[in-house]
Amino acid sequence: MRRRNLLQAALSSGLASGVMPSNATEPLCRKAGLQARLELVANSFPVMQHLAKIATGCNGGDLQVNFKLTPRVKYEVETAFASAGKSPFDAAVVSAGVFSDLYARSQIYPLTDLVRKYGARYQLEERMLVRMDGEVMAIAFMQNTQNLYYRRDLFERHRIAIPATYDQMLQAAKLLRVKEPGIANPIAQTFAQGWDLATEFTNLLFSMGGRFFIPGSAEPAFHSSEGVSTVALMRSLLPYMSPNALSSNSDDVMNQLQQGRAAMGVLWASRAARMDDPSASRVIGLIDFAAAPAARLGGTSAAHLWWDGVVLPRNGPAQREATFQVLMEMLSADSVAAGNDLTIWVRGNYKPGRTGVGVELAMAGGAKTWPAEPFFTLAHAQVGKVLADAIKGIRDPAQALAGAAASYRLAAIEKGYIREGHA
Amino acid sequence: MKRKSFLQFSAPSLLLMLALLAFPMLMTLWLSVCNCTPQMALVTVQQTGPFGATTVTTQRAKVDATGRALLDCSFVGLNFYRNILGMDKSNANGNETSPTKQGSAGDGYNEFIGALRFTLLYTILTTPFILVGGLAMALAMNHVTHRLKGLFIAASLLPFIITPVVGALSIKWLFRDDGLVPYLLQQVGIQVFWMAQAWSAQLLVIFYGIWHVMPFAFIVFYAGLQGVPQDSLEAARLDGASRWQQFRYVTLPHLASLLVFVTLIHLMDAYRVFEPVLVLTRGAFTTSVQYLTYAVLLEENNAYKASAAAILTLIGIGVLLIPLLRRTWREQRGSD
Repeated sequence: MRRRNLLQAALSSGLASGVMPSNATEPLCRKAGLQARLELVANSFPVMQHLAKIATGCNGGDLQVNFKLTPRVKYEVETAFASAGKSPFDAAVVSAGVFSDLYARSQIYPLTDLVRKYGARYQLEERMLVRMDGEVMAIAFMQNTQNLYYRRDLFERHRIAIPATYDQMLQAAKLLRVKEPGIANPIAQTFAQGWDLATEFTNLLFSMGGRFFIPGSAEPAFHSSEGVSTVALMRSLLPYMSPNALSSNSDDVMNQLQQGRAAMGVLWASRAARMDDPSASRVIGLIDFAAAPAARLGGTSAAHLWWDGVVLPRNGPAQREATFQVLMEMLSADSVAAGNDLTIWVRGNYKPGRTGVGVELAMAGGAKTWPAEPFFTLAHAQVGKVLADAIKGIRDPAQALAGAAASYRLAAIEKGYIREGHA
Repeated sequence: MKRKSFLQFSAPSLLLMLALLAFPMLMTLWLSVCNCTPQMALVTVQQTGPFGATTVTTQRAKVDATGRALLDCSFVGLNFYRNILGMDKSNANGNETSPTKQGSAGDGYNEFIGALRFTLLYTILTTPFILVGGLAMALAMNHVTHRLKGLFIAASLLPFIITPVVGALSIKWLFRDDGLVPYLLQQVGIQVFWMAQAWSAQLLVIFYGIWHVMPFAFIVFYAGLQGVPQDSLEAARLDGASRWQQFRYVTLPHLASLLVFVTLIHLMDAYRVFEPVLVLTRGAFTTSVQYLTYAVLLEENNAYKASAAAILTLIGIGVLLIPLLRRTWREQRGSD
């Protein structure tokens, strides 16, 4: 009995990983007879697991694909692509933010020739191509943004309009707290210290009309009156959020919404499908989505547009053709169809369901693309360090932002973005 | 022992120590006084992609004929150390970067000092609890019947065996909103949001430290207790010594060297506290020196500055260990 189970498990795992021979569904990358040993790297969330499965399905003959999934992908990719020797990775899946940094440092190998050669075979679509001055530098396959999640049933029951601004959101929260005593903290938002909090600040600052840098330079400008107003706005949300909000990441916020403990909040659009997950959600079909509210009346939706895509390192050109073909298999129309609900895909054959409309909503709300300056990540990191104390009132917001600006400036000098004879 | 035999025995471990300890340490020291940056130029780029076309004015590295970025590398001395310690006043107080009047001063907050303060608090508070708790556990285990010992030892070691990140996640899930601990406390009318304020967040990290390391102290002391000379204990009993006196004058002196050993190891570990800070609070109210190094390396992506932060951590550990090392050295000299 035990042996039969083991045999079944071995057969099913073999089929799943593409080790077993197949004919009609044999992927193009296997038909191509590629000879290479490829190392790919990506973040570790579900859609990446799907892509890894497709990519390793190319294994066979003289082709060996290893796919590393790691939550520290940014650091690993930046280190590998900056290496003086050969990059340990032949390709990487990166977000738009990491792409900007790699591109600025001239560490990405252009893909224009490969797109020209293989684009038709793999039905590449123009909007998947990330071009910089006409040169294809990345292939985008998924997109993301932040949306307003709200309990449609509660909003309808109490005749509350969908908030278009944060002021309206606060009014709605005030009303819901009175009308729904079971929901003590109506707002749930990713306010965890560090990256999450800085991302919220970024979304709100731009919607508020502020900017991160003085145009045309790397000099900071986020410690402005708009920056201080943004901190004040974030602080005004705290009374309607869990007292643990400053350690609430996307998982925590998703959990609060799924369990019906929060009635609204701005969260990543890619998490929308999980609101209807019967194994985790108590509010199936009750949560609806809208563009993230604007920080002020007349402002754009306080969200940014993101894409994730694949890039090849400049310091690892030897296996470009084989790598590209495996990547194209990974991003094929079949792959998108098989993982349709895992994310918001860029490809045209993606069928957005009820929960897949986030990017369209954000674009209609006027959301802009995530800042592309390579020094932005430095400023973002410094802001993330001081915001928790500023929002809590432990540090004066203006002073805290000025401190973050000074720290950023120092880091930007150290990294060569601002020239001033220091470090 | 002959000189040649001594060298033959010790050379492999000496070489390994040089390769795995001394060389990386020297490299880190060297990196901490250098800096390499790409030569950046202001560019305007037309970008097209999934969200349409945009024109971006940004910076891009100048490249050589092969397309590789041109780097400026230089010796910067102690600049990174000064920057981390907040001694570079021209850049640390925000005077040069002030779009608003109120943004011009900065509030003198020093990240390194904040991190050092919590690291020392964590080290000072966890050490006595671990020593006393570990010893109490070992003494209790010594009196458990033989059949149950295996089970109790395995259960006690569990927090030490599991990896720190998994342990910290378990604690986080126990204490987060609607976790088991807040739920139970709520049943008796106590409502605490553990990550909401400094005292509770710090307490949680310190609690994790004690929970995670106490089993190590316990197993070392328990092993030590097996070697306590029974004839000395029996002689003390015959002389009418109470249980406390037996412990105080026979058992404790026997364990003294182990107490020093556990303290040394824990001081080194505690000063490098990292995982609970990363997992439980992400640095909110509880930044540590090691977390600061991590932040510099990952968020600023600056290996040179992170090397300086790492060397500062090393110096901190050295300062903490000086009294204990001096004591051990004196004892060694005394026994020669």
